[in-house]
Amino acid sequence: MNMSENGPPIKGLYLGPADAPYDYNGGKLTHNLLLFGRVCRALGMNVTPNRMMEAGRALAHIQLGRKQDFYYTLRAHLVNHRKEFAYFDEAFDLFWRRPSEGFTTLNLQSLGEERRKKQTQFLPPLEASPSENGAEAESLDSSMIALMPTYSRQERLRHKDFAEMSAEELEMAKRVIARMPDSLGMRRTRRFANGQGRQINMRRLLKDMIRKRGDVTRLPTHRRKEKPRPVVLLCDISGSMERYTRVLLHFMHTLAGSLYQVESFVYSTDITRITRQIQQKNVDDALEDIGGTVLQWGGGTMTGECLRRFNWTWSRRVLGRGAVVILITDGWDRGDIPLLHREMARLQLSCRRLIWLNPLLDVPEYEPLTRGAQALLPYVHDFLPITNLANLEVIVKALQNLTSRPSAEAYRARYLA
Amino acid sequence: MYNSVDELQAALNQQDYIAERGLSVAIYLALKTGKPLFLEGDAGVGKTEIAKVLSAALGSDLIRLQCYEGLDVNTAVYEWNYAGQILHLRLMETEGLAREEMESEIFSERFLLKRPLLQAIEQSADGLAPVLLIDELDRSDEEFEAFLLELLSEFQISIPELGTISASVPPIVVVTSNRTREIHDALKRRCLYYWIDYPHFHKELQIVERKAPDVPRMLARQITAFIQDMRSLELFKRPGIAETLDWTAALIALDQNELSLETVQDTLGVILKYQDDVEMLDPTTIQNMIDRAKVEAQRA
Repeated sequence: MNMSENGPPIKGLYLGPADAPYDYNGGKLTHNLLLFGRVCRALGMNVTPNRMMEAGRALAHIQLGRKQDFYYTLRAHLVNHRKEFAYFDEAFDLFWRRPSEGFTTLNLQSLGEERRKKQTQFLPPLEASPSENGAEAESLDSSMIALMPTYSRQERLRHKDFAEMSAEELEMAKRVIARMPDSLGMRRTRRFANGQGRQINMRRLLKDMIRKRGDVTRLPTHRRKEKPRPVVLLCDISGSMERYTRVLLHFMHTLAGSLYQVESFVYSTDITRITRQIQQKNVDDALEDIGGTVLQWGGGTMTGECLRRFNWTWSRRVLGRGAVVILITDGWDRGDIPLLHREMARLQLSCRRLIWLNPLLDVPEYEPLTRGAQALLPYVHDFLPITNLANLEVIVKALQNLTSRPSAEAYRARYLA
Repeated sequence: MYNSVDELQAALNQQDYIAERGLSVAIYLALKTGKPLFLEGDAGVGKTEIAKVLSAALGSDLIRLQCYEGLDVNTAVYEWNYAGQILHLRLMETEGLAREEMESEIFSERFLLKRPLLQAIEQSADGLAPVLLIDELDRSDEEFEAFLLELLSEFQISIPELGTISASVPPIVVVTSNRTREIHDALKRRCLYYWIDYPHFHKELQIVERKAPDVPRMLARQITAFIQDMRSLELFKRPGIAETLDWTAALIALDQNELSLETVQDTLGVILKYQDDVEMLDPTTIQNMIDRAKVEAQRA
């Protein structure tokens, strides 16, 4: 491996005090180690110089001849998330191989590309355009769609391009942020704060006793602290919601920035977590990043399947501590309806409050009568119909009006068959 | 202490813990470099067990801190024995001591209740480092995590009334998490990370045979093959090694020599803990799985 000759000069790595000699027979291990660190960093792993130094030091403890041990040593130091194992393995295999195996820098450069391709997922063929939500679309056997990643002319991965935020939009976003509720409900934590409460604060009592020589006139108390509940956003980005997607992502970005512990997901035919991407300060960067990560823009809606995936893989990790879930969808669904019932029931049981934010498609006489909507309505605590989802302020207003009392009961009486 | 990864692996093996090479390397490095070991993995794959086995192999004490929400310094590090202090205070009042004297008397080690973290630090002062297990860190809240960050880098605790206590030999720290919440990068960064996966067939068979020596050979193979098969299903909670061992014990208690549809159905509650998962396995599916497991057991 001698790509270093062409690359920029790299400073030597300090590997600790002189009493721990690092003489690898004059080889280029340190050098290569550093280059490898760069490759890992290019793949998005959080490899700091400090970690590289620690990895280098740790190598002194193992037999370098055993490639397996070498591998695990580097992995334990450079990787700290399970999902990075695959990238690491790929980089490791490509980097640490015999020169005779035809190594070129080209392979390394292509690594970054492969990472993107990994997330390839198939879209179902779009026989019916998303706007046709009539009986035809609903009668489609959706489980077949899910199982058959068949080729069709329209089947393609879509990268979404979001235009930059206009000055007007920025202005609106600022107004919205100013009016955003601080939280969507509080929960009592198990920590205590001094002050009015019921439990006697022994620690303080003792201090008081010493100070006042035993003559305590008032028992100091403490009470449980309160914290905002975590929030989970599940946003439908299927074809029927397409015109709102941009503004909804803005909304999610605003929420993620102003509320405590927000987890964000988008779904249509598959569900993707976008928490990390959406937390970027600049909304345009965030949207661009999301546009590149999420690959199922404007597909059909398979809420049941997506919720199942959410319940199976994510709920245990994000719904702890009495989370509030906001489901943003219009209720059009081409998926498995019995499954949707089951998964909604499970979702309702595993969160504190389930809020359904529903755009009324700008139609005043719209009623949630589709099969999908009928499947959602029984399980939500709150039903918030919004006349115009294209306006951020309307959405925030709906959240502001959220009372402690669930609001879905009246709608259930009216719309459920 | 061990001089090579192989030595360590042999020592773990002696304690009936079959560790993968990667895990052994991680533990070995944790011992050598003094960094905490951060273990993640599904429930029941042997994360907590590691700490127990390690302390047994090293012949040192195991100090365990079970995390939960609201865990604070008073329960994790130290607390004063208030009742004792107040009683003592009353007694001293009759003697009419000066305020300073009373304070130094009351805030002495006599009234100090040592919680796991303080114990771990104090014990390492004797020379032999104990194994400190911080179990299920994800259950604690961010405040505690932040506190731990400081402790794990300094290995010293300061008690305002007494002074600072620091460890001469840092304890061997094992942190586990079930991922009910993401642990902050800052903490992970200071640790060696290892993800413990479900074992493959041969490793699991070894574990079963080691932990349940009186199990018939064929049954052990069938059990292992059956569980391995079950993990490939889309279950809400896949069975861990702990479940495999529980099930083995159950089948031995029922005097079984091989898997049968009836016994599997009757004992399914030992392996699966969610009704949805139990419902997924209808009699035909179970029969098919048993047949496959028998073939697999013959072949292995």
